[in-house]
Amino acid sequence: MRKRLLLFIALGWVLLLIGDRVDELRVYQGASIAVYVIAIGSIILLTGYSGQISLGHGALMAFGGYVAALCVANASLPLWFAFVMAALVTGIFGGVLGFAAARLSGPYLAGTTLALAVGLPSLANQFSILGGEQGIYLDPGLPPASLGESFSQYKWFFWITTLAALITMFWLANILHSKYGRTWRALRSNDVAAQLCGVHTGRQKVLAFSLSSGLAGLAGALLVLTISTVSPSAFPLSLSFALVTGAVVSGIYDLKGVMLGAVILVVIPEIADSVASRFGDSLKITSTLPGLLVSALLILAVLFTPNGPGEKLHHLRHKRKAHSG
Amino acid sequence: MIRNTPKKRALFASAVIAAGAMALSTMPAQAASQPGITSTEIKLGITSPLSGKVAAVYGKIPGAMKAYFSHVNDNGGVYGRKINLISKDDAYVPTLAVKATNDLIMKDKVFAIVGALGTANHLAALRSANLSGRGVPDLFVNTGFSGFADKAKYKTTFAVLPSYVMEAKIMAKYIDDNYKGKKVALIVQDDDFGLDAVAGFATAGLKPEVTIKFPTGADTLAAAQGWITGKLKPANVDIAIIFATTTTSAAVLGAAAGLQYRPTVGWMLGSVGGDSNTLRAGGVPLAILNGAIGTSFAPDPSDASDEYVTFFKSIYAKYVPGSTFDLTVLQGMNSAMLTVQALRAAGKNPTRAGLIKAIETKGAKFASAGFTPLRYSANSHVGYSGYWIGKYSATGSLQPIDGKRVLYTTDSGSGAVVSATISRAPLPTNGLPTNS
Repeated sequence: MRKRLLLFIALGWVLLLIGDRVDELRVYQGASIAVYVIAIGSIILLTGYSGQISLGHGALMAFGGYVAALCVANASLPLWFAFVMAALVTGIFGGVLGFAAARLSGPYLAGTTLALAVGLPSLANQFSILGGEQGIYLDPGLPPASLGESFSQYKWFFWITTLAALITMFWLANILHSKYGRTWRALRSNDVAAQLCGVHTGRQKVLAFSLSSGLAGLAGALLVLTISTVSPSAFPLSLSFALVTGAVVSGIYDLKGVMLGAVILVVIPEIADSVASRFGDSLKITSTLPGLLVSALLILAVLFTPNGPGEKLHHLRHKRKAHSG
Repeated sequence: MIRNTPKKRALFASAVIAAGAMALSTMPAQAASQPGITSTEIKLGITSPLSGKVAAVYGKIPGAMKAYFSHVNDNGGVYGRKINLISKDDAYVPTLAVKATNDLIMKDKVFAIVGALGTANHLAALRSANLSGRGVPDLFVNTGFSGFADKAKYKTTFAVLPSYVMEAKIMAKYIDDNYKGKKVALIVQDDDFGLDAVAGFATAGLKPEVTIKFPTGADTLAAAQGWITGKLKPANVDIAIIFATTTTSAAVLGAAAGLQYRPTVGWMLGSVGGDSNTLRAGGVPLAILNGAIGTSFAPDPSDASDEYVTFFKSIYAKYVPGSTFDLTVLQGMNSAMLTVQALRAAGKNPTRAGLIKAIETKGAKFASAGFTPLRYSANSHVGYSGYWIGKYSATGSLQPIDGKRVLYTTDSGSGAVVSATISRAPLPTNGLPTNS
C-alpha cells in the first residue's frame, strides 16, 4: 500500500509537470481525461468486479452534477464540499437504486439502468429549480491568487480534477485489493458459490452499486466544474454508452488500463473533427463520426481484447516466455 | 514476480508520460503576435444554433454575416485582410456553447467572438471560457439580456440589441399611454431572458393580470393551447404579450388560430419573437397577426424605402441565392457591418485590447440600420438604446402606426422612457465603411 501511495504521488508530480508545459487546450483536455478516469473507474468497480451491468451511469453523473451545482448556486457551499456532497448524495441515491438492481441481473439490469439514462436527465425540465433545458450555472470561482496572475482557470480545473482522480484511483485500487474486492469478484464469478462461502450477495451488490454511483456522482460534479454549467444536454445517452466502451477498451476486469479508456474518449472527437475537416467540414460528419468511432472501437475491443489490452500484453509475454523456455 | 509486474508497468507508464511531456513541451510556443491575425486574414468566430429546434430561425445569422463579410472581402477586405468567420453549432444548448466557444478560442485561435447567440448559452460560454479574463473581444452579442452590458463583470463583451428590460419598459409605457387600465397577460421563458422582461415590466409599474412562465423547450402547441384555454380565456385579458422566441410566438399564435381566440385588444409581440417571415414559415396564418402590436429597433425587412434594407437584401441575394431575407438576416448583416467598422477603428495593426478601446471611443458613431443611438463609451457597453412601436399589417410587415414611427429610448435601469427622433448615419457608399 505504501508503494502504491508513492506511485500515485509520483504520478501526480509528473502530471503537475505536464500541466505546466502544455498549452491551454491540452490542459483542458487533461481535465476531461481525469473526469473520465473516475467515471470509467466507477464502471470497472461495478461491472468488472461485482458483475452488475449499468447503461445508466451518465444519469448518475447528471445526478451528481446537479447536486454539486445546487450546493454552490443555492446554498453557496464551498466547491470541495459540493464535490463531497455530490459523491455522498449520489452514493445514497445509488444505494436505493441498488436495492432494485440487486434483484435484477443481465439484460433486465441493463434495461433498467438504460431507462434511468433516458429518463433522469430530462426530469430537469419538469422542475424550475433545476433550470430546465438551460440548466444551472456553477460558479467555479477564480484560482487562488497565491498561484499567480498567469495561472489560468483551466489549469486550476486540471489540478482539481487530477487530484480527485488520483485520490479516487488510489482508494479504488485499495478497496479492490481488499476483502471487498475479493468478495465482489467471487460474486461475479459465481454468486451461488459465493453465497455458499457465506457472502451476503444482496448486500454486497447494493454496496458495490452504491459506491460506484458515488464515484459517478463525483465524476459528474467535476464534469460540471469544467463546463461551469449543468444541464440535461451535458449528459446525453451517448455518454453512458461511451463510458461502458471506455471501460471495455480499458479492460473491464482491471483498473490499470483506466487511463487508456479515458484518453480514447477525449481523443475520439478530436480525430472525428480532423477527419471531418478533410471532407470539407461537413457538420453532419462531425456530429455523427464520434459515435461511429466509439461503436467501432467497442466491437474491435470485444473481438480482439475482450479483457483489455493489459491482459492481452500479459498473455503475449507469457506466450513468448513459453516459446523461449 | 507477479507482485512486481504492476510496479514495472507503472514505472514504464510514468516513463512514457514523462517522455510525452517533454515532447509536448518542445511544441512551439504561441506566437507573440495577436491570435487570429495574419497579414492576409482576420479570423473571427461565432456560436449559434445550426441544428435543433430554433436552428431554422437563428441558424441564418452566421450565413448572413458571412454574406456581408464576403462583400467586404471582395472589395479589398479590412486594410487588405480578409475576414474569415468560423461558425460553430451549439444547438441552443449551453454545454455545447461552452465547448464550441472553447474550441474557437483554443483550437481555431480566433481574434474575437462576434454575434454569439442565446442568453443562457452565451452566458455559460462567457463564464466558462472566461472571455473577460482572457481579454477575448466578445462583440455584438445576439441577445438582449441586459447583463451582457455589465462592463464591470464582462470587460470584453459588447451588447448590440436594446436590452429586454428596455423593451419591456417601452412596451409598458406604450400600454400606459394608449391602453391604460386594460388587463394584460405576459408569456415569458423561465430563464434570464424572461426574468429580464419581468423585471422591466415591474420597473415600469405594469402589473400583468396573468403571467405564464414556462421552462425553455416547454413551448409546444399543446402547452400553448393549455395556456389559452386555462389562463388567458378565463381571465378575459385585453392584451396578451408574448415575450419569447419565435418558436413560442408560433406555438401561441398557431394555437390561437386553431381555437379562434384573440385577446380583446390584441396580441403584442416582443422583438425576439416577432419576425413575421419566421412565424409564417412556422405555420402561423398571418391573418392572426394583423393588427398585433410589435416593437423593433431596426426597419422592417420588407421596407423597400429603407436604404439599409435594400442594400442588405441585394447583398444577401447575391451571396446566399434563393434564401428568404428576414429580420434575423438583417440583424446579422447589421452586426457584421458594425464589426467591420470596429476592426477598421482598431487600426492597421489591430490588437484585442485595441479593438475594445476602439469600440468604446468610436462605436457610438458607427453607421448602422438601427434607428436609436448606440451607447458605446468608456463607461458603457450598451448597444442600441430603444425601440419603435408599430402594428403588423395583413401581409405581416411591421408598420409605423398612422404613418408615424414612434421612437422611445430608455436604459436598463430605472431611467424614464422618453420619446425620441430618428438618429442614424446614412449607409456608407456601396455599404463599405471607410471609417478609421
